[in-house]
Amino acid sequence: MRHVKIFLIGVAVVCLLFAAAGPSRAEVIKIALSLAMSGPTSDAGQPYAKGVEDFFKYVNEEKLLGKATIDCTIRDDQYKNDVTKRNFEEFLDMNIPIYLNYSTGSTLALKRDFEEEKIPTIPASFHRGNVEDSNYIFLPIASYSEQCIGLAEYVARNFDGGAKAKVALYIHPSAFGRGPVADLEKAIAAGLNIELVETVEHGTDLDSTATLQRLMSKGVQFVISQTVQSPVATFLNDAERLGIIAQTFGEKGKITFMGAHYTGGIDLIALAGSAAENFYWTTSYRLTSVPGVGTEAQLALAKRYGRDDQTANSHNYTNGIMVAQVAFEAIRRCKAKGNPVNRANLTAELNQMNGLNAFYPVTTVGPVTYSATDRAGVDDLQLYRVQDGEWHAVDAPFRSEFMRKVE
Amino acid sequence: MSANRWLATGNFFTSYREEQRIFFTHLDRLIFAAFIVLLFAWPLFFELSNKYMLVINHTLIAVVAVMGLNIVTGYAGLISIGHAAFVGIGAYTVAGLATTLGDSHKLITHAWPLMIVLSGCMGALFGAFVGLPALRLKHLYLAIATLSFQMIFEWTIHFMRFFNQGQTIYIGRVHWLTGEVGRSSHYVFWYYASLVVVVITGFGIRNLMRTRFGRSLIAVRDNDRAADAMGMHPGLTKVYAFALAGFMAGLAGALHAYLYRGVGIESFTLHHSITYLAMAIVGGLGTLHGAFWGPVAIEFLDIQVEHLSAWAAQIFPAQGNLATALRPFSFGLVIVLFLMFEPRGIANWWRIARSYVKLWPFRY
Repeated sequence: MRHVKIFLIGVAVVCLLFAAAGPSRAEVIKIALSLAMSGPTSDAGQPYAKGVEDFFKYVNEEKLLGKATIDCTIRDDQYKNDVTKRNFEEFLDMNIPIYLNYSTGSTLALKRDFEEEKIPTIPASFHRGNVEDSNYIFLPIASYSEQCIGLAEYVARNFDGGAKAKVALYIHPSAFGRGPVADLEKAIAAGLNIELVETVEHGTDLDSTATLQRLMSKGVQFVISQTVQSPVATFLNDAERLGIIAQTFGEKGKITFMGAHYTGGIDLIALAGSAAENFYWTTSYRLTSVPGVGTEAQLALAKRYGRDDQTANSHNYTNGIMVAQVAFEAIRRCKAKGNPVNRANLTAELNQMNGLNAFYPVTTVGPVTYSATDRAGVDDLQLYRVQDGEWHAVDAPFRSEFMRKVE
Repeated sequence: MSANRWLATGNFFTSYREEQRIFFTHLDRLIFAAFIVLLFAWPLFFELSNKYMLVINHTLIAVVAVMGLNIVTGYAGLISIGHAAFVGIGAYTVAGLATTLGDSHKLITHAWPLMIVLSGCMGALFGAFVGLPALRLKHLYLAIATLSFQMIFEWTIHFMRFFNQGQTIYIGRVHWLTGEVGRSSHYVFWYYASLVVVVITGFGIRNLMRTRFGRSLIAVRDNDRAADAMGMHPGLTKVYAFALAGFMAGLAGALHAYLYRGVGIESFTLHHSITYLAMAIVGGLGTLHGAFWGPVAIEFLDIQVEHLSAWAAQIFPAQGNLATALRPFSFGLVIVLFLMFEPRGIANWWRIARSYVKLWPFRY
C-alpha cells in the first residue's frame, strides 16, 4: 500500500510538472518601433504606426510564420532624440533582432549605437546621411537626395522653354531638408542640365508672398520641395493667391511646384485644397487613388482592422506597412533557411535581398534591393500629379541616373 | 540649540551661527551620510536595465541644471526662459572641441573631468553676458531677454556648419583607470560621475547660501531697492546669479553630451527650457531640495504616463491617438495643479513631513 501511495504521488508530481510546462511554447519574435505619435510630425507618425501594427497583426492572425509570431512594441518618442534613445535601450533589453526607427535626427543620433550593437535598423527617414559610415541602417526607399535629383532630371528631360530650366529648392531647415542640396549641386556639376537659382530654407512663416515674388523676379520656373506638407501648403496657397501656379508642366511665366516623399500625399491636398492642383510629387509608394493590387491589399488591411479613410489612404500608412513587410520578409527568409532569427542573420538576409532574391512588396512601385553597398530599398520612383483633387500617376516609374554619379 | 546634539525638537537657536548649520543634529548628519552611501552603493548590489539607468542619469543631469535655475529664479527671483540654451552651451563646448580636435581626441576622452569644468566655465561666461541686461531690466522684460538668448542660441546652432547645423556631433567613449568605458558599463559610469557632480554642487550651493552672496541673492529677490540701501549691488548680484546658473547649466550640458555620446540641437530647445522651469516649480522654487524633487517628479511622471498611454492604447486601440495625447496633457495639468494648489512645490511637503517627524510623538 505504501509503495502504491509513493507511486501515485510520483505520478501526480510528474503530471504537475508537465502541466506547468504546458504545451511546447511557440516562438515569439520581439521587434520594436520608436516614432513620433505625438508632437512634431505625428501626423505622419500616427498612420505609419498603424501600418506597422496592422501588418504584424495580419502576419500573426494568418500564421504567415507558422507557429512563430511577431510581437512588435511601438513606443511614442514625441520626436525627441533623448526619448528615442531611452526607448532603444529598453528594446535592446528585450533582445530585439531588428529595430524600426523614425526620424532623421534620432537615426543620426543613434547611428553609433546601431553599429556597436550590430542591429539592423529600418528608419522612416530616407536621409542619405543615415547610411554613410553605417553597416546596419537600411532605407526603405530611395533617399531624399535621389528623389530630388530624380525630380530635377524629370525637369531637365521635359523642359522645352529654351536653355536651362531655372530651379529653386524649398527645404526644411534641418538635416532632413538640407540633405539633398549638396547632392543636387554635385549632380548639376556632373552635367544635370538645370540651373539651381536659390535654396530657400523656410521658417515658420505664415506668409510666403515675398519669397515667391523674389523667386519670380529671378525667373524661377520650378520649385522642388524637400520638407513636410504644412509649409508646402502655405507656399502653394500664397502662390495660388498670386496666380503663379503653372497649370501645365513648365508653363511659361509661372512656377511648377514639385516635392519629395514627405511633402505630398492626401494631407497636402487636405491642407492646400485647390492650390495643390498640378503639384508634382515623387515617392516609391503606390497610392490608393491609383488602384492596383497593392492598393487593394492596403485598403483591405485597413478595413480588416477598422481604420478610418484618412488612415487607409495615407501614404504613411503604406510606408509603415512596407517597412513591416521588409522586416517580416527578412525574418521569413531567415526561418525558411532554418537559421535562428538574430541580428546577424537578419542583417545577412537584408544584404542578400537583391537580384533574384529581391523582395517585391505590392505596396511599392519597384522591388526592394539591398546589398552591402546599396542601402536604399526601392530604387524606383513614381511621379504623381494632383488633378481634380486626387493624385494621378504621371508616366512609368523611373530611376535617377545622376544619383549614381554623385554617390 | 538643543543640549542633546543627537535629537532636538522644535527650532531653538542661541546664535546666528547655529541657525546657519547645515545639519542641525548629529542624527540629521548620520541619516544624510547613510543616504549618500546608499546612493553610491546600490549599483553594486542591484542591476538596473540600461533604460532605467539612462532615466536616472538623465534625472541627475536635470538636477544639476535645475539647481542652477533655482539660483537665478528661485533665490534671485529672476525668471529665466532660456536655461536649456545654457545647458546647450556646455554641451556644445564639448561638441565644438570634438569637431575641432576629433571626437576621440584625448582631451575629450581622457580629460573629461576637465572638459566638464571647462563647459561649466563657458556656461558661466555666457550666463554673465546674458545676465548683463539684468543691470537695467527686471521681471518680464528680463524674462524676454533670456527668451531671446534661447532663440539666438537655437538659430546660431541651426545655421553654423561648425556645429553641424544642429545635427548630432558625436562624442567618443571616455577612458577611466580601467581603460575605455564600454557600452556595458557606460550608464553606471556616468551615474557615478553625475552623482559626484550633484553632491559637490549641492554642497556648494548649500554653503553658498550661507555666505554674504547667498544672503544678497535673497535680499535682492525680496526687495532690490532695500538691498541697494543696505549696501548691496542688485545689478551685479543678478549678473553673478546668472553666471552661477550658467556654470551649473554648463556642467549639466557636458554631462548630457557624454551620457548620450553626442550633441544635437533637439535636446536644448525652448521646450526643454520650459521643462526645466516646470521642474523648478514642481520641486519648489527657492529651496535646494526642490531642485532634487522637481526633476525626479517630472521624470517619474513622464515614465508613468508613458506606461499609462501604452496600456490605454492596448485597452482602447481605436482611441490610440487620444492615448498618445496623455503625455503632453498630463505634463501641462501637473504644472497647473501645482501652481494652483501647491505653489511652494514638493519641497513644502518635504518640509511638513520633516517637521512632523521632528516633533513626533508631540504635536508641537
